[in-house]
Amino acid sequence: MKNSPQDNLKKENRFELLRELLLEDDREKFNALSEEIVMREKVASRVDPLIDAKLNELRENFPVEFGEVITDTIKTQIRDSQDEVVDALYPIIGKLIKKAIVVEIKKLSDNINKSVKRTFSFKDYFKRKVSGVNEGDAALQDAFKPVLEEIFIIEKNSGILLGNRSTENIANKDMVSGMLTAIKSFAEDAFSKEGQDLEDIKFETFHITLYNFNTIYIAIAISGVQTLDFKEELNNKIHNFTEIIFDNRSNLENEKKLNKLIVEHLIEG
Amino acid sequence: MISKKVLLVGNFGVGKTSLIRRFVHNEFSEDYISTIGVRVSTKVIQTNKESLKLLIWDVAGTNGDQTVPKAYFLGASAAMFVFDLSREETYINIVKQIDMVKELSGLKNIVVIGNKRDLMTADKLHILLEKVDVTIDFITSAKENENVEDAFKLLGQQSLK
Ligand SMILES: Nc1nc2c(ncn2[C@@H]2O[C@H](COP(=O)(O)OP(=O)(O)OP(=O)(O)O)[C@@H](O)[C@H]2O)c(=O)[nH]1
Ligand SMILES: [Mg+2]
Repeated sequence: MKNSPQDNLKKENRFELLRELLLEDDREKFNALSEEIVMREKVASRVDPLIDAKLNELRENFPVEFGEVITDTIKTQIRDSQDEVVDALYPIIGKLIKKAIVVEIKKLSDNINKSVKRTFSFKDYFKRKVSGVNEGDAALQDAFKPVLEEIFIIEKNSGILLGNRSTENIANKDMVSGMLTAIKSFAEDAFSKEGQDLEDIKFETFHITLYNFNTIYIAIAISGVQTLDFKEELNNKIHNFTEIIFDNRSNLENEKKLNKLIVEHLIEG
Repeated sequence: MISKKVLLVGNFGVGKTSLIRRFVHNEFSEDYISTIGVRVSTKVIQTNKESLKLLIWDVAGTNGDQTVPKAYFLGASAAMFVFDLSREETYINIVKQIDMVKELSGLKNIVVIGNKRDLMTADKLHILLEKVDVTIDFITSAKENENVEDAFKLLGQQSLK
């Protein structure tokens, strides 16, 4: 799927929508301010200090004056317009989130249907009786089976995408990896001491795990519920994979080759 | 294709987002929607020899002595400092601000852009240029699409050095 300018525009709009949702109540105040700026440009420079002082005041007092309003707005907006929020969020972390929700819901209903059918299959019934697996557990395990949705290999500081594998075409992968890195930089800068890395981003049942290495990090988006076995297996795969790519660093400079290695070692391996 | 991370910094409201929008989508809007955090856009440009993919980090504007988090500069190959020709407080400390950007980023050269040319008369611009103590690489207008392409081209070239 190609990323047409129209798609970009749509995504841009969604992004603005998120801002809109978050800042709606303050939008008017911002508008008033920007009008003031325009006015001032027309009037003369003598009002400059006044407006600057006002802007400063607004910036400084913003959390105090509007914090509560924003929190309330976010709460109601999220409650009242979940679809829009998901839509607005989706350009930020790519299609990941929206897709995950859709996929999860679909998978869940598919799997429930399947499981129901299976429960009535005598062959399965006896098989489970013999192996001792509880009917309900088995059905649940199937329904929430973890799935690797997206794998990104990203250069650590710059956020440049070195290689990736997605189950579906993500519109702008470079932007996704850039934004992911920006979120990571922000979180690390704001909340942690030097040398600590952000390792997890969670959204409902969707989970992005970041495996940090010296010059790169690997972001893996997983939907479904991760069991210990699954995590352990994934850790092993990552270990093998990184051993191979770090053994010859030119692997990191060749996107095609890297993508092939991802499939071989992380998907199939 | 080579990819490079480049950064736009400067006081709030100087037109960083507008320059990027003009460059990437060839659009302009009078609305001011202040950037929250960072926003990353991409655009492929042609240099003399090859295609170059720019990952453009649009960083939320700073104010006075505020600085951009150092983490944002990591891995950046070039940076652009934008000021607003029509607002003195966005360039009054320009020497200090650019030194700060150099220090945080470890970059030797910063592309310096004076934006909103359309709001200035020739006389006013002349007086301003006398006052500003740094070399301005381009005087731009995101609104009227003046020198925007060239400014980013220079940024791209610097990212390859
Ligand atoms: N006349 C004129 N207005 C401009 C120009 N560039 C930007 N503006 C206006 O200036 C305001 C601020 O522009 P932004 O691009 O949002 O500024 P910014 O630097 O990204 O601001 P922050 O994200 O808050 O740091 C908007 O209302 C724009 O329409 C220009 O070249 N000419
Ligand atoms: Mg902005």
